[in-house]
Amino acid sequence: MKFAKLIRRNLFRNKVRAILTMLLLAVIFFFVATLLAILDNFENFSNAGEGANRLVVQSAISLANLLPYAHEEKIRAIPGVVDTAKLQWIGAYYKEKTNFFANFAVDVDKMSTVFDDYKVDPKDLAAFAADRRGALVGKDLMTRFGWKVGDRITLKRQIFPFDPELTIRGTFVHPVQTTTLFFPMEYFQQSMGNPGQVGTFWVKVKDPKQMAAISQQIDAMFKNSDYPTETFTEKEFQSNFLSMMGNVKLLFTAVSSCAIFMVILLAAITMSMSARERVTEIAVLKAIGFEQRLVLGIMLTEFILLTVIGGALGSVGAHYLYSVVDMGKVTQGFLQNFGIHAKTLAICLASSAAVGLIAGGLPALRASNLRVVDGLRRVV
Amino acid sequence: MTTLVEIDNVRKVYKRDAFEVPVLNGVTVNVPSGDFLALMGPSGSGKTTLLNLIAGIDRPTGGRISVDGKEISRFSETQLASWRSRHVGFIFQMYNLIPVLNAFENVELPLLLTKLSKKERREHVQAALGIVGLADRSLHYPRQLSGGQEQRVAIARAIVTDPTLLVADEPTGDLDAKNAEETLDLLQRLNAEFKKTIVMVTHDPKAALRAKRTLHLEKGLLVENVGMAASA
Repeated sequence: MKFAKLIRRNLFRNKVRAILTMLLLAVIFFFVATLLAILDNFENFSNAGEGANRLVVQSAISLANLLPYAHEEKIRAIPGVVDTAKLQWIGAYYKEKTNFFANFAVDVDKMSTVFDDYKVDPKDLAAFAADRRGALVGKDLMTRFGWKVGDRITLKRQIFPFDPELTIRGTFVHPVQTTTLFFPMEYFQQSMGNPGQVGTFWVKVKDPKQMAAISQQIDAMFKNSDYPTETFTEKEFQSNFLSMMGNVKLLFTAVSSCAIFMVILLAAITMSMSARERVTEIAVLKAIGFEQRLVLGIMLTEFILLTVIGGALGSVGAHYLYSVVDMGKVTQGFLQNFGIHAKTLAICLASSAAVGLIAGGLPALRASNLRVVDGLRRVV
Repeated sequence: MTTLVEIDNVRKVYKRDAFEVPVLNGVTVNVPSGDFLALMGPSGSGKTTLLNLIAGIDRPTGGRISVDGKEISRFSETQLASWRSRHVGFIFQMYNLIPVLNAFENVELPLLLTKLSKKERREHVQAALGIVGLADRSLHYPRQLSGGQEQRVAIARAIVTDPTLLVADEPTGDLDAKNAEETLDLLQRLNAEFKKTIVMVTHDPKAALRAKRTLHLEKGLLVENVGMAASA
């Protein structure tokens, strides 16, 4: 492009100002990329069971209220239900409270039917089933704590009054749940004095089209019992679980929007100053034949470049930082498989271009509409 | 000698808030091809306004301006911009070079609007810088040049497209005596040797003496026409 040199030179005509503006944009877009990636991470978590055709049955009162075992047989008898499994969130930790991760008591024999999206070596699964105190552990959790199959570990109580003492019998692979630990429901029940109650039933359904109907059927079945239920799809359940932290999505979106709005204002000030300083030069360009549209195009390109470079520095910088830093470790397992993905990068780059267009639009338009005689007369 | 610029009963009124300020009150003058015309007059007499109208960077309130047979007072902004790029070279009092571009790049600017190749543009720029005697300063930025050198780069920029008309607004106004003389020498050479038609606004009688003829303006009217008999 013939005008590339003019655009480049103008972009860096005041190096300190240009670099500070780019750094400001880089910091803001690093922040925005991180927030978007966290939302992305939550979204992945919510979609963890996508395609698994599972419903989750919990107490209608709250997740903390347990349901009687007797419910399970009734649920399994509903036409269209393939199988059911009991699952109890334990909420224990390893050694330190900061070593928090997802740990569940589960019906061991249902790993291959209800939780068939967890890929387990058959030998490991057999070893897990054979040990009342066995544990099946996600690959990333094994790496995080440096565990090996055969290691004995003790988890510390937090909700239930017992410390699970476990032997790792195998590992599993899952696209999202990579830092989860399962141990047998039998061990949990015995340790708790066999109360015959559990937090959730997970229901494998044959046909995904039937999920809504079966969900209603389950809740209707227990509506007038002492233990009414509320049934969700797995995605709804995971979203509800996240929403216990508040409306994170709304909060993050609001914070990101505020940050972008702030950067638009700051960029607009910088760009207005830059355009104002060049009034005479713009008048000269127009005098020698640069048309209004060409001047507008040159200035907008310059302003958009400024913001896109800043946005790229921030978002691509975040991408590389999170590919080097294990955010799972940094956040004690809160953010697993964390990274800035292509979609987030594209959103950040498009947003930074939009910032340039919005912030620079008015100064560029005013400059390009300048009458030559007025510009030449102006002493800046 | 053919007439290049025809100015027929041109009026210009500026609006300042609620007030109308008449600047030109019916000026009629012709500029023949190859002329070197100086416009003189006190401040506010309308000489720069007349120059701006001839150069197509301002529009008259009334009357008619034709350059090389084209009535530019009827052109749209886009047509005017395109016309200026091909037919007018500008020389300003404060040189008005782009500070982020070196001498070569400043002179090349008007050529970016043409379809010339990079090689052809380089040849034209080198020729223009050669004419003004600054071929060896092509990589210098404006801040690295003296006032006189900056003005010569500005002149090279004005002539690089080989325009029909050169307009100069106080070209020696910001220069010391020596550099002013050199600039006027150059303008005279462009007129005599390269047959460029030049219209120059000046306060300086010495500068006006270098022109072939001088028009005096006062209160927006032409009051005196001194010099070449061929004028209208």
